[in-house]
Amino acid sequence: MIGVKQMHKLDVVFFASLRESIGTDKVTIELEKETTIEEIKQIVAKLLDNPDPLFHEGIQASIDYNFARHTSKVNPQTVKEVAFFPPVTGG
Amino acid sequence: MVKVQKDDFNVADLYKDLCDNNQTGAVAIFIGRVRDFSHDSTKISHDSSFELEHYPGMTEHNLQQIVDEAHSRWDLHQVNVVHRVGELKVQDQIVFVGVSSSHRAEAFLACDFVMDYLKSRAAFWKKETQSGISKWVCAKEADETSLARWLK
Repeated sequence: MIGVKQMHKLDVVFFASLRESIGTDKVTIELEKETTIEEIKQIVAKLLDNPDPLFHEGIQASIDYNFARHTSKVNPQTVKEVAFFPPVTGG
Repeated sequence: MVKVQKDDFNVADLYKDLCDNNQTGAVAIFIGRVRDFSHDSTKISHDSSFELEHYPGMTEHNLQQIVDEAHSRWDLHQVNVVHRVGELKVQDQIVFVGVSSSHRAEAFLACDFVMDYLKSRAAFWKKETQSGISKWVCAKEADETSLARWLK
């Protein structure tokens, strides 16, 4: 339909100290077009009571399980899940 | 083989798995363990515990990519990684990395490589609890420095 924007749902999940400090493990947003990780952060921040930790230095992101940069683009038609988390500490 | 599991692992069984090829001349194994993270070494840390969070799906994907990269860099027979998650205590085993190859040099290098990448490029997060106080472990700059050794 002309003039009707096609929106796509995207799950955004959080882990470890970030999940605890913002108080939720998941939000779902709707995107119309290709959006960068940095822009997704701004959209997500509006849905959170305490968004500040999302902007702490070192917070990393992934797009469908692959580590991503803040400038990486998310295609809402193909991407299922974006995640934000602190630096990893396995091993 | 990549496994993320709550249960402990048996090193003898995992070693045996690495030896099922009669061309295997070398096996390098690394085992990571929970050390006593209390700063007071005179105190017995019975009340210390340790929690490993992961991102189901991403963690396995990251580990498989690291294993694939090791195979592409060296001539290896097998690369097996087992990483535990959930609640762990001091002296528990956390991680197993085993590499088999024809010669020792590749096995040593690949084992070292996999551990460096696992530390900085796999979705795990550690949380320490001591006397009821929990603290997320911070990533070490030294781990990133160590990773830089492998840049092509």
